[in-house]
Amino acid sequence: MTEDLTRFKKRRLHASLSTNAVPSFEEQLALLQENELQESTNADERRHQIWERPNVPKIKPNQDSIIFQQIEVDECVEPKSREPLIRMFGITETGNSVLCYVTGFRPYFYIPEPIGFRENDMAAIQRQFERAINLDNGLTNPIERIELIHKESIWGYHGNKKSPYLKIIFSETKALNSARHILSIKFNDRQLRELTFESNINYVLRFMIDCKVTGANWIELPPKSYNLRNSSRKTSTCQLEIDINYPPENEWSKIAPLRILSFDIECAGRKGIFPEATKDPVIQIANTVTIQGEKNPFIRNVFTLNSCAPIVATDVIEFYDQGEMLQAWRNFVDPDVIIGYNIVNFDFPYLLERAHHLKVKEFPYFGRMKSNFYVKTEAKDTKFSSKAYGARENKFINILYYIKTLQLDMLQVMQRDYKLRSYTLNSVCAHFLGEQKEEVHHSIITDLHNANSETRRRLAIYCLKDAILPQRLMDKLMCLINYMEMARVTGVPFNYLLVRGQQIKVISQLYRKAFEQDLVIPALKSEGSDDQYEGATVIEPERGFYNVPIATLDFSSLYPSIMIAHNLCYTTLLDNRDIENLGFKCDVDYTTTPYNNGLLPTILEDLLSARKKAKADLKKETDPFKKAVLDGRQLALKVSANSVYGFTGATVGKLPCIEISASVTAYGRQMIEKTKQEVENQYTIANGYQHDAHIIYGDTDSVMVKFGVDNLVDAMALGKEASDYVTGKFVKPIKLEFEKVYFPYLLINKKRYAGLYWTNPEKWDKLDTKGIEKQTVRRDNCLLVQNVIETSLRKMLIDRDVAGAEEYVKKTISDLLQNKVDMSQLVITKALSKSDYSAKQPHVELAERMRKRDAVAYVIVKSTKGAAAYEKSEDPIYVLENNIPIDTNYYLENQLSKPLLRIFEPVLGEKAHSLLAGDHTRVVQIATPTIGGLMKFAVKTATCLGCKTPLSKHDTAVCRHCKPKLGELYQRQLDAVNKLEVHFSRLWTQCQRCQGSLHQDILCSSKDCPIWYMRKKAQKDVQDAATLLERFNYAW
Amino acid sequence: MFEARLSQGSLLKKLLEAIKELVTDANFDCNETGIALQAMDNSHVALVSLLLRSEGFHPYRCDRGFSLGVNLNSLSKILKCAGNDDIITLKADDNSADSLSLCFESPNNERVSEYELKLMDIDQEHLSIPETDYDATIIMSSTEFQRICRDLMVISESVSVDVAKDAVVFSAEGEMGSGSVKLKQNPSVDKPEEQVVIELNTSVSLQFSLKYLMNFTKGTPLSDQVMLGLSENMPLLVEYKMDDAGYIRFYLAPKIGEE
Repeated sequence: MTEDLTRFKKRRLHASLSTNAVPSFEEQLALLQENELQESTNADERRHQIWERPNVPKIKPNQDSIIFQQIEVDECVEPKSREPLIRMFGITETGNSVLCYVTGFRPYFYIPEPIGFRENDMAAIQRQFERAINLDNGLTNPIERIELIHKESIWGYHGNKKSPYLKIIFSETKALNSARHILSIKFNDRQLRELTFESNINYVLRFMIDCKVTGANWIELPPKSYNLRNSSRKTSTCQLEIDINYPPENEWSKIAPLRILSFDIECAGRKGIFPEATKDPVIQIANTVTIQGEKNPFIRNVFTLNSCAPIVATDVIEFYDQGEMLQAWRNFVDPDVIIGYNIVNFDFPYLLERAHHLKVKEFPYFGRMKSNFYVKTEAKDTKFSSKAYGARENKFINILYYIKTLQLDMLQVMQRDYKLRSYTLNSVCAHFLGEQKEEVHHSIITDLHNANSETRRRLAIYCLKDAILPQRLMDKLMCLINYMEMARVTGVPFNYLLVRGQQIKVISQLYRKAFEQDLVIPALKSEGSDDQYEGATVIEPERGFYNVPIATLDFSSLYPSIMIAHNLCYTTLLDNRDIENLGFKCDVDYTTTPYNNGLLPTILEDLLSARKKAKADLKKETDPFKKAVLDGRQLALKVSANSVYGFTGATVGKLPCIEISASVTAYGRQMIEKTKQEVENQYTIANGYQHDAHIIYGDTDSVMVKFGVDNLVDAMALGKEASDYVTGKFVKPIKLEFEKVYFPYLLINKKRYAGLYWTNPEKWDKLDTKGIEKQTVRRDNCLLVQNVIETSLRKMLIDRDVAGAEEYVKKTISDLLQNKVDMSQLVITKALSKSDYSAKQPHVELAERMRKRDAVAYVIVKSTKGAAAYEKSEDPIYVLENNIPIDTNYYLENQLSKPLLRIFEPVLGEKAHSLLAGDHTRVVQIATPTIGGLMKFAVKTATCLGCKTPLSKHDTAVCRHCKPKLGELYQRQLDAVNKLEVHFSRLWTQCQRCQGSLHQDILCSSKDCPIWYMRKKAQKDVQDAATLLERFNYAW
Repeated sequence: MFEARLSQGSLLKKLLEAIKELVTDANFDCNETGIALQAMDNSHVALVSLLLRSEGFHPYRCDRGFSLGVNLNSLSKILKCAGNDDIITLKADDNSADSLSLCFESPNNERVSEYELKLMDIDQEHLSIPETDYDATIIMSSTEFQRICRDLMVISESVSVDVAKDAVVFSAEGEMGSGSVKLKQNPSVDKPEEQVVIELNTSVSLQFSLKYLMNFTKGTPLSDQVMLGLSENMPLLVEYKMDDAGYIRFYLAPKIGEE
């Protein structure tokens, strides 16, 4: 064995030396196996990657406590007694899966004590409620009991006086919902038509708040508090099932050894049709399983239909029946986290529908729950829309609801957290991992599948790579860690983070704090009022190109610190009536209420100080993994702090309070104005400074100051001084910080600027742009726009070469008009939301024509004058193959001109327009397509290769005027052909490297890959040039 | 040296009006025999072929063949500055032409205006439709043809042309209804505006896009008569002859089935 190994190793080493390239995907796999073989003492055991969980240690409920990290909390109903239960799914530190049932927790809400209420009216009230609920719902014994307690309403200032409230405790959630309904609408008794409190929070969150359970935290079940279920009573595939009555808590910051399954499926579609689950089989499922925190997946396998040649370091599991394969896969799946790319909208629904079609009965019950007990996994369309994240169509929630594991669809994570041009797996990986992958077009998958076991192997490798990439992405971006931190900080279940918006996080925090301070929160009916309050102030920008340092002063965490400084909260809100009642005097008792600290400021203070702590820890920490956790934590804290302000201003929200958000922005406005005044009054020639300082622009929480000095050192010193000076004028903890100097600085408009960013006088940090990227990275802009703008800015700001930037732009425009610009630069992609677009937009029309689902890539081609944009959109591949002329004017006028003028106008003024017209636009090339109505009738007339005049019949290469130059022209053409041939073969080998084999034909047709377009174009160019060259053969 | 003097300046103005809707940039190929232009429209459904014979100019001089790359929109704008009766002279350096000079003289020679148009370098394949014998040719009044197109456009975007031995029927069917115009053979020589001459080898029935035909009829002012040439599965030819000065030909791909 050892001998074999060393030999193998040597050969490997040799091979990698000779090619001297990045190891291909297969080589990476081989390396993996090598490592494993070395590590493992028993190689035979390791060869079969099985994924039994560790055995459950013997547990004695009377002595041992059980500690696990819960990863999902949800509610269910005990089938017999209809008692509501909390289910917590989790993993112990040793990797055992746990399902914990919590019994005895009852939903409840509060109502204010009715006027004239006495202790012995309790039973009467309960009867009235029960009757009403019965009428509505037919539930028996809906109310368990009613308690009288003393609490304070969060809304408004009450001088710290508690009032009596009735806590109505229900036997099931349905009863609560129905009672809330009755109270606010139907119930006629005058006394009870009051506001309910805390009735609009769901059962799970209520439980988590009351038990201080936060998302993805650790739960400790002390000895004697729980019962283990034996196998006959088990309802799930979890190793441990536990019943407990109301558990206590404990908190650690680790992450349990979660098992993460990343998978991808391949379907054999029919030609030209996107696969449909009812018709097209699933042919391969590739899986990798990784334990959180470990580098490489310990299971790699591929379920394939039909035979498949072996793949190094990978289990190939062959099936000859589709149903069997699906069933085997379902039995295989037992992870704690499922990830993949676009799995919720494609892979999961497809598998489910397929299994349904094949009548694989057990299949829909995958996930943790056993089949006979709970509902089937089903895919349903839901729509999710949040102001912060935008609307996306989803099959999300329901899938997630039934699988009962953590689930991260990397596509959704990407769409949520990153603004990218294209969200295909390939381009995302290229962006974050610097790694390209083959893109096998779905139309040839079937051919590969039907050929032989070697081609199926090829497909399996492709599929496996698609399964591994999401895992690598997740590791690299630390999504899991960040999301877990966010769940812990805000206290919501993990899955809420993907499914719900920002509000739920604030609500969770608010309820938690309120619970501690004996406050109750009214359930306001959300009414979407359009009341607008005045937003942040913007100091009118003085547009232009500044070739002197511009210092930037920022308020750090402006809105949270305003809320803390001025104690703005629900609990400190006074209206005029209250002021009279309490006899407060203006300026003495209110605007800042000294008596008690508000709830929101407390939350914010906690968040901010926690963030400060996390940041401090982060500096000290050396272990990269812990560092990542802390960084995730501080980021989560920052986002949460900022969303508090948004929550109070969300008019359709759960608890909007415009008074608070309006005050916050009002303070913000004052502060910006005051800063401007202070700086401009202090830093003047009159006060002994060299120049008068001038604020050229200010927005929300920052001001840009031109101190007038021409070097960075002075500007930075002044900036620092000014920030301290102004900070002194404000209430703590408001702090004005000097952060950076822009030099030079291009101020285009409100919220639109670019500059070279300096934090120390020696070396600039980066090229910073604001608002410009929004215009250019928008996906309905093509890459060309982005590149031109970026390069121009770089030339202007870093090289300080405005003339060079102009030159560059002109050259690019000229190339565009001559069709020399690469097609990948011109592709426009737009995601498609079926229901939103009824108007005919270019890509919608194309999408219908192409009958595809995802984001659509298209280019604009020439068409009849006055044709609408949608008639001009065309599939890039089709355009490339048929040489259809690109509408270069569209790109010039609709894409390039506006962004270009925007950045050049402040610099060049009126002259900027000369960029778009002039001599460089007078050389154009018009392509001749190979298709189109007339093309099959038209005949090409040869033109002179020297001067382009049409040739008579006897001349083949040049006209008689150009005859003398024949030799020269031939040489030129020959050179051109040679160059193109070299270019093409380079691109070809590039693609072969990418697919990891230099001997096979290339299958890839990735629409995101610039190489692909180049390769296609180069291929065509070589052919065309060679045909031209041939014409010389007859010339003499 | 290239120089061409056209006593009927309005001819050039009308020509430009006729093609600028279809083509944006094109090469005027000049040689000893005259000026020619061949260009496809952007969607490659129609082709314009234009010839101005040297005989139409007085004088005409072109030493060697060369191309004038012109943005037709710009040229048309400049030509709008010429009066309808003006004499137009075109001049360019045929060795390295980077601009075309235009000179407009009023008939009584009292007003002379000169313009220069910057030229473009247009790299484009040279395409043409081979001449064929058509199954059916129709010669009819150009205004009548224009009217038929305009009228049927009300009904639909496409028109069927059915040619029989003694009559031609243009018909259209649309959402709101249908319409047709039938013209009978009428070889009256006295009234050319009513003349309809049909020459038929085999009867044909073809469909065309009216939008393009409407564009073609911008050539109406160039000639009293229009010639249509039709064959099964071949492009339609619409030709306006400018006496001996030359012609303008439009080709249009037939509509096939439900495309």
